[in-house]
Amino acid sequence: MKKDTMKLALVLALMVCLVGSLFAAGQKEGAVAAAPKEVVTLEWWTWDSEEYDEASQRAMVKEFEKTHPYIKINMVLLPTKGFETKMTTALGAGVGGPDVAFFSVASWYPKALVLDDLIARDKFDIGMYYKGFWDTKTQFNGKTIGLPLGVGSSLVMFNKDLFDAAGVAYPTNSWTTTEYLEIAKKVANPAKKIWGAEILTRPFRAIWYNYGPNARLYSPDSKTVEGYLNSPESLAAYEWFYDLMRSGATPTVSDMSTLSTENTGPIDLFMANRLAMATLNQGHMLNAVKAGKNFGVVREPGVGDNPRHVNAWSLLVGIWEGTQHPEEAWTFLKWYVGPEGQKFLMDNANLFPSIDAVGKQYKDADKDYVKAFLEILNDTQVAIWRGAHPSGTKVEASITDLWDKIKLGLITKAQIKAELDALVPKAQSVLDEAKKTLIY
Amino acid sequence: MVQKHVKRSPAAIKEALCGYISISPWLVGFIILTFIPILSTIYYSFTRWTIMDAPVWIGLENYIRMFTKEPLFYQAVRATSLYVAMSLPVIIVFGVLLSLLLNMKIKGMNFYRTLFYIPAVISGVSIAMLWTWLLQPDVGIVNTLLSYLGIQGPKWFWDPKWALPSVASMSLWKVGGSAVIYLAGLQNIPPQLYEAARIDGAGKLRIFFRITIPLLTPTLFFQLIIQMIEAFKVFTEAYVITKGGPLKATYFYLLYFYEEGFQHFNTGYASALILFLVVIIMLMTAAVNYTSKHWVYYEGEGKSK
Repeated sequence: MKKDTMKLALVLALMVCLVGSLFAAGQKEGAVAAAPKEVVTLEWWTWDSEEYDEASQRAMVKEFEKTHPYIKINMVLLPTKGFETKMTTALGAGVGGPDVAFFSVASWYPKALVLDDLIARDKFDIGMYYKGFWDTKTQFNGKTIGLPLGVGSSLVMFNKDLFDAAGVAYPTNSWTTTEYLEIAKKVANPAKKIWGAEILTRPFRAIWYNYGPNARLYSPDSKTVEGYLNSPESLAAYEWFYDLMRSGATPTVSDMSTLSTENTGPIDLFMANRLAMATLNQGHMLNAVKAGKNFGVVREPGVGDNPRHVNAWSLLVGIWEGTQHPEEAWTFLKWYVGPEGQKFLMDNANLFPSIDAVGKQYKDADKDYVKAFLEILNDTQVAIWRGAHPSGTKVEASITDLWDKIKLGLITKAQIKAELDALVPKAQSVLDEAKKTLIY
Repeated sequence: MVQKHVKRSPAAIKEALCGYISISPWLVGFIILTFIPILSTIYYSFTRWTIMDAPVWIGLENYIRMFTKEPLFYQAVRATSLYVAMSLPVIIVFGVLLSLLLNMKIKGMNFYRTLFYIPAVISGVSIAMLWTWLLQPDVGIVNTLLSYLGIQGPKWFWDPKWALPSVASMSLWKVGGSAVIYLAGLQNIPPQLYEAARIDGAGKLRIFFRITIPLLTPTLFFQLIIQMIEAFKVFTEAYVITKGGPLKATYFYLLYFYEEGFQHFNTGYASALILFLVVIIMLMTAAVNYTSKHWVYYEGEGKSK
């Protein structure tokens, strides 16, 4: 009986194996019979920066291709300035554009694929992104045209060693523009060519916005310059800058020009221990950590109880509306600007992710400088005004003479008001003309 | 009046065809890369076009805006005109003087010629960066040397009064290139003329002004036009060093064009701007050409006709 049972069990086992192997073979046969999925190559235009260098981006592409064998990424690395020209030409001509790219210029927005249907179809969780950046960076005419890659902001880095040597207390997040001036003067040591603060590159940065709602280039409806450019708040901001320039606490204009790196501010002066406070960004902050600098981070100084502003950014990555592969481009975009891609760039480069949950996994999330940076991101973004007023850049370019006059000491403090009043009609004319060329 | 119809022989037709085929690579290149873009630029100058959308015909509005509503236009014209006026004499006079030196028969002359020509093959951006440091007011070599002489140097690029002369003085760097052209002109002057003059008892200055300069005028004429066009196209120095400042002292025309065309993407307006520059250059060239009959001498012909 026992023998029979064993025989039966053996036969059953053999049958199971036979059926199983037949089933498996059938499946294999079916898989072979199905048409192989065509490999799609996507064109991805990018640049390298403090936050993501070329090597880390190429490594990220390999990582993506491992899990997406049917999508190949042709990463085209362009110089930042060449990128704008190439994108504008391609999008304007309507041919030869990238499948996926940074949509970093407002005039390109109408050429980006609207993503709302894809987001809804895939139930893609947009709630994972910081709301402030989602709202200011991804929307155009009420539609979603891209996803926000990383976050960054201006911040004031201060050199603790220089502060300690001068016996000056460190600044705090609640500091004011008046305190900024006082600190800059105290910590400066012109005899040793050590400066307290840098010369700001232009007006209407975050500090201007901190002076009040009328410290703007023109009215919220983009119609009137009078009462904004020359408002008491704007005047106060200009006078503050005048005091800074006459304080003796800043490097010379020529020093700033030759020793600052274009577009990246006075990082070299700061790293060389010649500048006690410098308005830099989170990329510089991470480089300072790597270099072992003893530094702290605070937000830009405020004015009274006015809302605090920050010049913050996130890079909009979108899909060109002319792409031949919208599905594959969306697959790549979701991965690249989603948790996987941003975590990869955070771990392997200098990216601070725009996804809160990923940011919490940052290796130094408990460090003071990271906490300070993340706190700064909660301030009101200058980008809200900038995004709503694309003519601002043109108008601002028309008023730089006053900035030069203050920097070069060609004007007295009492003359600033008259200069601002005189600039109003000129700026108004530029605003009126600039609005005509807006495409939306 | 009856017109005679001349029938071409097959050989003549074949010859003409061969001619057209021979020049066709150039002709096709010219039509595609030059002629059509010129026509397009003329058309776009009458439109509002930001590249992203189709151009909108606005007639003369860009030109009206240029002349009546854009203060930056006049600042750019002023800075560029001053630059041309300052740099052109510098590059012509020093170019001729350098070529005279390079024409001397001394040992190692080929080395000196190469040495002075090197700057002409270095990128404009590198040269601009070099000059930034040379003329840095606090630590630059020029002001340091001046300080040894007890002279407080100016702030050069960072002073509205000195910025334009500073940029113009950078033209000195380029004289090696033009000196080589003058040198070729000098070497084409028949030596028997100098010999005859010396036998007649002419001094060095007299020989220079009565023989060298008159026989160099065809080269000077050519160089004047080329260098003038180059001067009108000044861009790199302002773009790299001064950004057009301070107080728009170096806000050159091409910088203005670049900002409008490639930063603000006002392509229609930028097209009008560049056409205006082309017209100005053509007028200036025509004026120089017109005056040439009074001062340019061609060997065996006297003054040019």
